Amino acid sequence: MNSPHKEKQSSLILGNKTLKQITEDISVLTEKIPGVRYLLTLAGAKTLFIFYLIVMGTIVVVGMGLMAVNHPVGWGVDIINLVFWIGIGHAGTLISAILFLFRQKWRTSIARTAEAMTVFAVMTAALFPLLHTGRPWLAYWLLPYPNQRGSLWVNFRSPLLWDVFAISTYATVSIVFWYVGMVPDLATLRDRATNKVRKFIYGILSLGWRGTARHWSHYEMTYMILAAISTPLVLSVHSVISFDFAVASLPGWHTTIFPPYFVAGAIFSGFGMVVTLMCLVRVFVPQFKDYITINHMEAMNKIIMVTGMLVGYAYLSELFIAWYSGSPYEQFAFKNRITGPYAWSYWIMMSCNVIIPQLFWFKKFRRSIPVMFVVSILVNVGMWFERYVIVVTSLHRDFLPANWGSFNMTFYDFGALIGSFGMFLTLFLLYMRTLPAISIAEVKPTAVHKE
Amino acid sequence: MREDKEMKYWMSLEQWKNDKTFQKLAGSEFVSPPFEPESGAWDRREFLKLMGASLALSSLGCLRRPAETIIPHIERPEDQVPGVSNYYASSYYDGGEAFGLIVQTREGRPIKADGHPQHPINRGGMSARAHSHLLALYDPERLKTPRRNLFNKEKTNKESIRAFLDEADPAIVNKLKEGKTALLTDYFPSPASWEAMSDFSKAYDCSHFVWDPLDLTAHAQVYKECFGQALVPQYHLDKARVIVSVHCDFLGSFLSPTEHLRKFSLSRKPQKDMSRLIVFESLLSLTGTNADERHMIRPSEGVNVLWIMVDEILSLKNSSAYSKLRAEFNKLKPLKYEEQVRKTARELFKHGKNAVVLAGDLSHQTKDHHSLLVLMNLLNHLLQNSGTIVDEANHYTAWSRSRPSIENLIQELNQKKIKNVIIHRTNPLYSYPNADQLSSALKQAEMVIYTGDRMDETAQASDYIIPDHHELEKWGEWEFQKGLHTIQQPTVRPLITSRDFEENLIVWARLGERGPRRLREASSWYHYLRASTAERGLSWKTLLKEGFSKKETSPLRQNSFNQNVLQTISKKEKEKNWELVLYTTAGLKDGRLANVSWLQEFPDPVTKICWENYLCISPSDARRLSLKEGQVVELTVLNVTQKVPVHIQPGQAPHTLGLALGYGRKGAGEIADRVGVNAYPFMSILKNKRVSAALSVQLKSTDKVIPLAVVQGHHSMEGRQIVVETTLKDYLHDKSSGIHKHKIFSLWSKHDYPREKWGMVIDLNSCTGCGACIVACQSENNVPVVGKKYVLEGREMHWLRVDRYYTGDPKKPKSVVHQPVVCMHCDNAPCETVCPVAATVQSDEGTNDMIYNRCVGTRYCSNNCPYKVRRFNWFDYSKNIKTPAGALNPDVTVRSRGVMEKCTFCIHRIKSKQAQARLKGEKLKDGDIQTACQQSCPSKAIVFGDLNNEQSKVRKAFEEENAYSLLEELNTKPAVKYKTKIRNNENKYGHGKGHNKGHS
Repeated sequence: MNSPHKEKQSSLILGNKTLKQITEDISVLTEKIPGVRYLLTLAGAKTLFIFYLIVMGTIVVVGMGLMAVNHPVGWGVDIINLVFWIGIGHAGTLISAILFLFRQKWRTSIARTAEAMTVFAVMTAALFPLLHTGRPWLAYWLLPYPNQRGSLWVNFRSPLLWDVFAISTYATVSIVFWYVGMVPDLATLRDRATNKVRKFIYGILSLGWRGTARHWSHYEMTYMILAAISTPLVLSVHSVISFDFAVASLPGWHTTIFPPYFVAGAIFSGFGMVVTLMCLVRVFVPQFKDYITINHMEAMNKIIMVTGMLVGYAYLSELFIAWYSGSPYEQFAFKNRITGPYAWSYWIMMSCNVIIPQLFWFKKFRRSIPVMFVVSILVNVGMWFERYVIVVTSLHRDFLPANWGSFNMTFYDFGALIGSFGMFLTLFLLYMRTLPAISIAEVKPTAVHKE
Repeated sequence: MREDKEMKYWMSLEQWKNDKTFQKLAGSEFVSPPFEPESGAWDRREFLKLMGASLALSSLGCLRRPAETIIPHIERPEDQVPGVSNYYASSYYDGGEAFGLIVQTREGRPIKADGHPQHPINRGGMSARAHSHLLALYDPERLKTPRRNLFNKEKTNKESIRAFLDEADPAIVNKLKEGKTALLTDYFPSPASWEAMSDFSKAYDCSHFVWDPLDLTAHAQVYKECFGQALVPQYHLDKARVIVSVHCDFLGSFLSPTEHLRKFSLSRKPQKDMSRLIVFESLLSLTGTNADERHMIRPSEGVNVLWIMVDEILSLKNSSAYSKLRAEFNKLKPLKYEEQVRKTARELFKHGKNAVVLAGDLSHQTKDHHSLLVLMNLLNHLLQNSGTIVDEANHYTAWSRSRPSIENLIQELNQKKIKNVIIHRTNPLYSYPNADQLSSALKQAEMVIYTGDRMDETAQASDYIIPDHHELEKWGEWEFQKGLHTIQQPTVRPLITSRDFEENLIVWARLGERGPRRLREASSWYHYLRASTAERGLSWKTLLKEGFSKKETSPLRQNSFNQNVLQTISKKEKEKNWELVLYTTAGLKDGRLANVSWLQEFPDPVTKICWENYLCISPSDARRLSLKEGQVVELTVLNVTQKVPVHIQPGQAPHTLGLALGYGRKGAGEIADRVGVNAYPFMSILKNKRVSAALSVQLKSTDKVIPLAVVQGHHSMEGRQIVVETTLKDYLHDKSSGIHKHKIFSLWSKHDYPREKWGMVIDLNSCTGCGACIVACQSENNVPVVGKKYVLEGREMHWLRVDRYYTGDPKKPKSVVHQPVVCMHCDNAPCETVCPVAATVQSDEGTNDMIYNRCVGTRYCSNNCPYKVRRFNWFDYSKNIKTPAGALNPDVTVRSRGVMEKCTFCIHRIKSKQAQARLKGEKLKDGDIQTACQQSCPSKAIVFGDLNNEQSKVRKAFEEENAYSLLEELNTKPAVKYKTKIRNNENKYGHGKGHNKGHS
């Protein structure tokens, strides 16, 4: 029995699972009373989330002055966090949409959780552009809605407005895609439900799914279309985010390479985050080890290495273009990044994003959970600092030296950064226990060949 | 226990019971502000307090004009239209410096002081302080009523109660009758007040003493010794071809800087006869930054420099006179900079009548001050510039008077010869170096009366504090210069229960039934003043209408030089390891207006530091002692030790140290107290003469580092074209010299400006960097103050800033340049395109308008502004403004938290003038509209107007070849252009890296 199918199955899902076992393994997580370990983790995440709410609430009540932003550094940790979290979201869409279209079967085990990560990351990110404004209670003015304030309308030339559309579109499509993909599994949960409340809730959520051939046919079609809609978004969202910088006239921002460079960076950091989370899931939910195998992890590590090199290429070409442009401001901006007062952030970025992922040339490291866990975290540290470098070092020394300033993070900046992880983790942990964390319907076909 | 039972007044049971804790508290009641003692630590609440103190009206002001009562006039007073400003001619005397003012009032409250455009001294020019004295009117820490301090026997336990003048006056008069009284004032040139004081002296047995921290009588006295008459002449610098300053910051602090700035800039027109300024100084002063040639000398070396000049000029004159002097000179050792000085002397000699030497300002009173001034007078005499530049006829009158100094008062108090002391316009317990001596002497007095308006250092040691009116509440008349009489009009009813100092004298004379009739029988100070002016042949109506009247003065020429004086010239002092200079700053000066937040946050024109005084040290000394910027050192002069942070000042002479006066107040108010250290105790008094320079000090460095609140992040232009400098020679050859032109083109069509297109040209050659515009703008546009902590974080709010750059080696900068930066109102404004809510837009008159209501505060506009002129309201700066909002300009919106703001080109002024013109059916004329900065500029460096009008001044200036746009290559098309800075020297100025010619 040496058929290719067999081989493939064994590489994707381990443990000779029956279909029932698969359903059991995945559904049971939502049906069991959670253990102490989970509850403690959730309590920790929740405390961090509450801390985050207090920090951001204080900033809203007292003023943006609590954060490190100043004159000339008008944007700070809020915008860095926005780009950071949006970037993280990218892996989910990439895995579920693009890899789906490319028929990459290995995606099935991780797609659901990666998509959930996307949704939560976008939710976390979307708060920042609102909260970084001086008057967040008026942030709805960024929406072009008919109003009674004369002819007041938004300024469509502003990249920040493009952001509004890009992020809201991305959030909407990601949520719909995620949800639609979940419908058959929600029906499974409904069918397995033993009490009325569960039956009711999952019943509503599963939208009357009966699993008929007609349903399946429509479902597959819809899913394909949504994947096709999502695919360009992977490229567009971060391109638009990069326009915030690229469209401005500031040296260090005013760069045409930004859209592809940002997209590569986003995928890079997104996969970093997926690997981090999957490592944790493997530890905390041991039965998932059969679904999220070391092969999956290795595939993601390869992507991390490739995108890491793409990002590295972008860093170097930026330097070249700065030199080649002949503009003294541009040249200074990059020289200042490398040798100025915030050079440490540049070198953290360089080592975390370009040098450390090179470890994955070695198969041993690619397949080692502790190594990939550390590397994936460092990748995200590096990517946070990439945005720090772009935002802070470009702003703190621009055209007129008299304006030069500095940027010293305050308690509130750290609060916004650390607290946002509280929000993300809380959402993620709740998701792990309420929704099917691996796509039951999609994993099963990979197991079918066994029987 | 109850020994103090006879104490007449008690305020609480604790006091009556003589509670221990109470006693402890009471002893320190005035000297312990309620906040943390650590200097430099400003918490968030504190800046809110600062804001409150800056803009809030005193609560009694609220009582007088309750906000809730609106009584419509049945018949409106003729001159009162709600929403329309009234303007009054008035004046302000700022310790030597004088201003004719036009005070703008709205609904009865003064909101802005502007320069009187016709006044011969300032011609509309202002200083930062002249603008700020208006805010002092609304200072909530002014005393609400007269106070009386109840002392225990040792005069340590201070308890202050309200004093009612009806009760106090008879008590005071009784005391006055009992014994000899001393008047202690500064030298304020108000003839009528001095008449009243002299009348009062006749009524009671009085002697008049003076303590003036800004005393220039030394100049007058030396002038008298040399030429026979005690006076400080006026200098017509506009007629000068060569100006040599030796330790004389005449543009920043000496005599009348605003007047000097105006005249100096007139002499700096880039023509063949443009003047040359050669400066020999120790600290880098504002004058030094404007010099064509600057030499660093030690404070003690001034005499030698002048001596060499005298020697050289005498040898050029080939005159046999002064041979003794020359023989004396030859004994001196040659100096390292001798050749430079001789060259300067030859230049002086070449221009003769059109050359002038200024020496020895207030900050440079060394032991040799007398010799320095004698030599200066001799030099000017040899140059024969009397009548051209040196104008004795129209001299400054303040310094011609001479009264016994405060040391005599201390002596007489200690001998119990004097029973009562009346202190007016001076705060000697703060500003007198030996304040301890004075304080113990004052304890000998039976009664001390003080006219200050707050519980400051002297008030705490006085029995009665009867606050004088603020200048804007008070009648007065000044004779700043001989024959130039200026009126001081009240522009508001007194906001607190205060009384004129002169009124006091009248009342006490009346009650005591003593003194000359005109004093005794005057019904008020106003009437006394009117009678006095009439006696002196002045027309009251003219004074009121014009604001001043100028009497022709009879020409007065220098008589022959009294050569005997030359024998008194002392040799150069022995060089010391360190020479400390105590200098006055453009912001705080002698410390009188220290509680005005605008001045505390006013960045020093040279160092750009605010909210602190610091020890200036040269870069080479700092390196030698391995001192860092802001490192605290222990500074000891004789037996006085203070801890001060160090500021490393490029261009300062090695072995010289500088420390500003005016800081370290106690009891002046929440804003001023604990800011910096008091430098007055470092001064020494030698034979009744003060020594403020070349003081020998000891330095000990500590490990502590205090960050200094500097508003500018970097001080070199990094080779960028920001301030264009060139030499006169190159300029005359090619007007566009130094400007690197770029080839720029646009893909887009231009904006359409069908009517006016507002524009501005700032002439960097006229601009001296004095910074008056910064505060003018602040006062006009309700710009908030943020406090030291937030300046450190880069959150100062000034709409207009003056950037200052050094070029060349920090030890000896090639030049220092100033550049006022306002919003450029770009045609292609980078801020406009990036605002998501269109809160900043281009108007059809070429201004870039900020719509506060619409702004949500993304700060994208600020990030994208290459000039970074935008300011963000990080906190609710307006929260603490009480109603009625005192000095706020009602024409300008007070911005709320979270919105961006910036220079508007004073759009409210544009709109109001346009409306007026429309109502009259007239067309606006060029020059009708002035921005606040333009109006207050002493050297008239700013031109504003309509660029669409081909005849307008601004259009012509805009098109001149020496006008350039800042960061032109970004194609933002600013509506503000700069004119090149022109130096009259042989240096080479390039714009740094790369090609010099520009793109075709």
